[in-house]
Amino acid sequence: MTASSRRFPLSRRRLLTAAASLGAGVIAAPYVARAEEPVLNVTGWGGKWGDVMKAEIGPAFETEFKCKLKTDTALPFLPKLQASSRSAPVYDVLHTNSNEQWAAVEMGLVEPKVDPKLVPNIADVYPYAVSDKIVGVCIFTSAIGLGMRTDKGYGNVTSWKDYWDAKFNGARGGYVIPANSLGQAFVMMCGTLYGKGQTDLDAAYAALEKLKPIKLVDFTGAMEKLILSGEAGIGILHDSGIYRYDGQNQPVDFVTPSEGVLSLEQVLSITPGSKVKELGNAYINYMLRPDVQKRLAETVWYSPANKKVKLDAKYDAKLLTTPEKVSKLIQVDWKWYNAQKDEIDSRVNRIFRA
Amino acid sequence: MTSLASRPQSRLTVSAAQTTTAAVRGRAVPRRWGRRLYLAANIAILIFLLAPIAIVIVFALNPTPFIQFPPVGVSLRWFEKFFASRDFIHALGFSLEVAAMTTVAATVLGASAALAIARGNLPGSRLIVATMLSPLMLPAILTGLALFQSYVLLDVGRPLWGLVAGHTLVTIPYVVRTTLAVLHNFDVRLEEAAQNLGASPIRTFFEVTLPLVKPGVMAGAIFAFIVSFDQFPVSLFLVAPGSETLPITLFNYLKFDLDGTIGAASVVSILLAFIVVIALDRIVGLRSYVKL
Repeated sequence: MTASSRRFPLSRRRLLTAAASLGAGVIAAPYVARAEEPVLNVTGWGGKWGDVMKAEIGPAFETEFKCKLKTDTALPFLPKLQASSRSAPVYDVLHTNSNEQWAAVEMGLVEPKVDPKLVPNIADVYPYAVSDKIVGVCIFTSAIGLGMRTDKGYGNVTSWKDYWDAKFNGARGGYVIPANSLGQAFVMMCGTLYGKGQTDLDAAYAALEKLKPIKLVDFTGAMEKLILSGEAGIGILHDSGIYRYDGQNQPVDFVTPSEGVLSLEQVLSITPGSKVKELGNAYINYMLRPDVQKRLAETVWYSPANKKVKLDAKYDAKLLTTPEKVSKLIQVDWKWYNAQKDEIDSRVNRIFRA
Repeated sequence: MTSLASRPQSRLTVSAAQTTTAAVRGRAVPRRWGRRLYLAANIAILIFLLAPIAIVIVFALNPTPFIQFPPVGVSLRWFEKFFASRDFIHALGFSLEVAAMTTVAATVLGASAALAIARGNLPGSRLIVATMLSPLMLPAILTGLALFQSYVLLDVGRPLWGLVAGHTLVTIPYVVRTTLAVLHNFDVRLEEAAQNLGASPIRTFFEVTLPLVKPGVMAGAIFAFIVSFDQFPVSLFLVAPGSETLPITLFNYLKFDLDGTIGAASVVSILLAFIVVIALDRIVGLRSYVKL
């Protein structure tokens, strides 16, 4: 043994063994951890929804079901799910709006329906939440209508058709339709208003043409700011995008058009290859519980799908919490829309580029 | 007495002088205008470069929850909101951590590769250079998607090292390029002289080669840090739940809340990048490399 090796008794073999063990440990650590407690991978939103999920609702679920809930809030969800293996999907429960759910189910990435036997709270949801327009189950909905300024003297707005009124020229806010589901739903509303129904695209295109001049944005958050700043006097928006400023003394209001409001659903579905389907169903059932629904509804101003939820008076007055109010919801045929999306995108781009 | 011969000559001299002065004046006018034009062009470029930063600062300091011009006042409320947000602060720290690791990895790998290419007499070195620079030609979002798919196939999830590897992939070209630029003018005789004087290859590398290529390596390292810190498309697919970088957190935030917090976060990012460059200047003396 040399003097140096006595001072530092680490032979090359020991060093290599230690390094290999450490490497193996690092690689194996996630698997060991996985063996200890089941992990449920879900998608979810950021903003206030994400805050309350992270602080209260997620941890309570983890405690009750003795699992780890991993919520991916970094969009885009669908390409990630597409890129992952069908037998080991990156998500167990997919939470998106309805349009993406339909795209996912067409590709076989999610199961078309949730079994009510495995998710007992489905028995208490409004019919729209499990209708043939829904993949999986809808847990919340927002009403898409018209957001507008109340301080510009525009007068009474009651119909979708008022959106075309010449007094809003230059003060009208709309969406980059290929990128925004509210904009896409609105295309079908145009067909309903001026044609034979949601699928009457020619009538929709003609109506869209008449909306110019219009200010276009990508995100609903940007539309809110457009209206708040007064850059737009009227815009297509979901009710929560206006109600969230309740009590902040902003001169904005949400208009429920007489023809009805479009439904912007928050939908959960299970991926076929999930290894923790039981836990996935438990998560969906948990999200439909009245107490969880109430907490989230009153945080983000979404209308709960569970009809047994009793909201505080302030929220109850504005959200869709009775069968009568719910009957105003117009659900969109996203399956049909997705099949025509490329054609619609190309046409609306031409309309608004000009 | 002035000679007859000299008279016309002096007249000629005077007229030549006058002609020269007029010519100088004639040349000076366009030169002065040229200088003014050059100055105006530079100012225009500076405004073009700094305008987005100015808008971000105005947005961050404006108290209204939307972009408003002219601003109605000055407020630090968005900075307070930014620093009070655990998500933002965590994302900021995580971005710095990833950028630091990426900088080390990209600098070591990129500089070594550049040395091997420039000095190794490798067959097909041009092809190797093109390959090393190829991550810049591929849309970064596809790089992110491809890496994500690879990690999924390997069943390793979305680990931190995977994110750093993705960032390293897109930052190595910067280090390779800047180091190769320095090596292009490298005088090999300096190394030979050191070795003739008895220096071992390792000593020659650390005492002669490295100090001479340091400007290129450091410039590449700075690029690597900034590109990694601001990296969005590659991170989009590689960040794991709960470990989002600052650009990803900002993107997710602005989908729901487009307020001045975005501006405040951007100002903090700009300041941090500035501080890193200043710190590097203090540590390694960037000023001497400004020629790069």
